[in-house]
Amino acid sequence: MYETYKSRIISFYKKNKRMPSYAEIMRATGLRSKNAVYKLVHKLVEDGVVSKDATGRLVPKNLESGVRLLGLVEAGFPSPAEEELLDVMDFDEYLVPNKESSYILKVKGDSMIDAGIMPGDMVVVERRASYKPGQIVVAIIDGENTMKYLRVKNGKYFLEPANPKYQPIYPSESFRVEAVVTGVVRKY
Amino acid sequence: MAWGAPHSFPRAILHVDGDGFFAGCEVAKNPSLKGKPVITGKERGVVSACTYEAKARGVKRGMRLHEVRALCPEAIILPSDYETYSLFSHRMYAIVRRYTPSVEEYGIDECFADISGMRRLHKIKYAQIAASIKRDLERELGMTFSLGLAATKVLAKIGSKWQKPSGLTAIPLREAHYYLARTPCENVWGIGANTAAYLASSGVRTALDLVKKDEAWVRARLSKPFLEIWRELQGEVALELDLEGKQSYQSISKTKTFTPPSRDADCVFSQLSKNIENACIKARRWHLAAPRISFFLKTQDFTYHGCDIRLPYPSALPHDILREVRAAFPRVYKKGMLYRATGITLIDLVSDAAVQLDLFGSVQKSRSLQKVFESVDHISARHGKHAVFLGSSMQAMTHAAHLGERGDTPVRARALFKGETARKHLAVPYLGEV
Repeated sequence: MYETYKSRIISFYKKNKRMPSYAEIMRATGLRSKNAVYKLVHKLVEDGVVSKDATGRLVPKNLESGVRLLGLVEAGFPSPAEEELLDVMDFDEYLVPNKESSYILKVKGDSMIDAGIMPGDMVVVERRASYKPGQIVVAIIDGENTMKYLRVKNGKYFLEPANPKYQPIYPSESFRVEAVVTGVVRKY
Repeated sequence: MAWGAPHSFPRAILHVDGDGFFAGCEVAKNPSLKGKPVITGKERGVVSACTYEAKARGVKRGMRLHEVRALCPEAIILPSDYETYSLFSHRMYAIVRRYTPSVEEYGIDECFADISGMRRLHKIKYAQIAASIKRDLERELGMTFSLGLAATKVLAKIGSKWQKPSGLTAIPLREAHYYLARTPCENVWGIGANTAAYLASSGVRTALDLVKKDEAWVRARLSKPFLEIWRELQGEVALELDLEGKQSYQSISKTKTFTPPSRDADCVFSQLSKNIENACIKARRWHLAAPRISFFLKTQDFTYHGCDIRLPYPSALPHDILREVRAAFPRVYKKGMLYRATGITLIDLVSDAAVQLDLFGSVQKSRSLQKVFESVDHISARHGKHAVFLGSSMQAMTHAAHLGERGDTPVRARALFKGETARKHLAVPYLGEV
């Protein structure tokens, strides 16, 4: 984190030809309070990256050597690696983009095998306001979780497995879809 | 009085309360339980939480489970799964924070939110913001919440209690008298049964009776916290939201019930020793030390026997505490009695940096022991809690706390995915098999 903050401050300096104010550091780093910025600045001063003038404003000191270099620089061109890393996401964000509404289940049966969902797999699901035909959904039929394709025919919803061994389920009463499958995770 | 004021919401404070939260989480985990009487607390032998279907049958919090079975034989009784409850709790806070950054995480199942001034941002009325928060919570978490919207925390609490489960009650200040007239004093947040009885002796029975008294009357008869409640009931904010969260503790307690109950002094002491170790771990994590402790042994007939001990110097090391407890234990423990629980409370906690040296060097000696426990904490951080523990806790550590059906563990602890361990699970609630 510290390195990221440092590089943000350095890129501010490079862009604006001056050091940022505390408020600007908050904006650049996403830190939520000036107190946090104060602590960051304190660390930077300690590390000799910046210093403070008599009025307490920041003065650049050793910015260049403070830049962490990623990769080998050849022929004098700066490595773009640092900048590129700002727009990446980790697996958490990738698999579970909507954190508050996501859940996991363990696959027991083989009824969705042709959709690539095997027994033992982990499925990631999301609770939503509404569900659309064509989605793989988790519904409750007779008190049991079941995972199938949601289909509609002549205005009637039904559940279709992805395995020729099983028949589609045409629920006699109304049924509730609990969640939609958004991902499958399998570790070896 | 603030009621003549032109604004219905000089401030807009929201109180969000999960309905039978632990039981609600269990239904959210397993939606086929919807509409059934579900109860949590199996491992404790008493009801921790229950759904409204169970409440309708007369089940109450704290009731013994054998009474529950007599009252409602079809009740579904589940062991507590605190890990999942915390996940749901954090999701609740996160969803409310979509609407305002000012959220006080008041308890695992409730929070306050300040949405003052947010009408302009969201371009809807306060009550609509509240409705929108409620909709998000219920859709995404799969359980119901009750919300209260008013000018202060105390009034908002009256709102969230007004209609349960799944209610949303907005109390504009100019209509507050209607609600207060129908709220007995003991249902006001912060007023207990004793204070309510005392108020009743002066003819103050409802919150409205209290509000109609003037400040001098309240000052003359009640202490400062009640003056704050009185102000809040008037619609004047006296209790600001605490946005920082818990910074420290005044006391730390650890209590555990074990089954089967035991007559064996060593077994009971070992349970107590384990609680002491756990309390010390928590105190050290918060850099606190206890100058005073109290411990108790609970017998099978639910009576408590205990004592209060002043330590020679504040400490968070189990050795220092065990030394004192070991000396006092024979006075509390009665041979032949059947014990079911033990507990320890560290009291009047102070910062561990403030401990003074004493004349005889015992603090100094304790300091070197402190190094040992710093290492213990490091080992635990790396290999899991209780990777090393004291010999006196051995018996409690190596046996499950509950034998028989109370030893039932939550499903999550057994259903592991490849790569998960018994101590480390994915931080996503598990809905079972499909």
